[in-house]
Amino acid sequence: MNFVTILLIIGILMIVAGCWCLLRTYHILKITIGIEVSMKAVTMFLVLAGMVCGEVSLSETFVITVMVAEVIVAVVGTGTAVGLFRKYGSMDVRNLNRLKG
Amino acid sequence: MLLFGVYAVMERSILRSAIGLALASAALAAMLYAMSARLASVFELSVCSGLVTVIFIAGISLSHSPKMEVKKEYHDKERNRFLPLLLIAVGVVLVAAALILNYAEPQIAAAAQENVRQVLWNTRQADLWGQIALILCGGVAVAVLFREERRDKK
Repeated sequence: MNFVTILLIIGILMIVAGCWCLLRTYHILKITIGIEVSMKAVTMFLVLAGMVCGEVSLSETFVITVMVAEVIVAVVGTGTAVGLFRKYGSMDVRNLNRLKG
Repeated sequence: MLLFGVYAVMERSILRSAIGLALASAALAAMLYAMSARLASVFELSVCSGLVTVIFIAGISLSHSPKMEVKKEYHDKERNRFLPLLLIAVGVVLVAAALILNYAEPQIAAAAQENVRQVLWNTRQADLWGQIALILCGGVAVAVLFREERRDKK
């Protein structure tokens, strides 16, 4: 096994950990953290793909776009969590079912 | 990076989870630097390790759940007990598959002599418009989410 294969396995394990967090937790901030953990692996995969193709510069531009998306996900997730807490006094994502409209 | 990521997922305290995520980001930044993606490394360290952690901590401080509520909401200790076992099992399966199937392992190619700035501003210019749209969407989303609080104050 070479360096690329080891990093691929590590990335897949991180995606599994993030998906586990998404499936097993109802806390909205924890769910956002799970998404962020998975996105770290995606960032690593993009740079790895750039290294394999010999286009690291191109992959870096994609990574910057992914990072912007990552920050927006964190901001919107946290804003939703704060709004949910103010309305229901809890960050349980199941409370979203009780919203009207 | 994997260890910090798993710590962020498994930790019961949200604050410690956010710190674990920041450490995972810092480890990824070091990895990107070693993989000669310097600009991405700097962005990862400043934006993901710094800004995202600040956002999470601000969210935690704005919504201070009582301890009982946190315990009631999610029994992470019980739920996450099997995560290390799952990761070990998946890791063993992947390593075994890589060894047994004897697939053609990807090799690192020689890096092309292209400048990141040239690629970003010339080749991938449309991405910048997408990023601007994303940032605007995020700003509008935050404004909408915090609008109710202003009404309450009035």
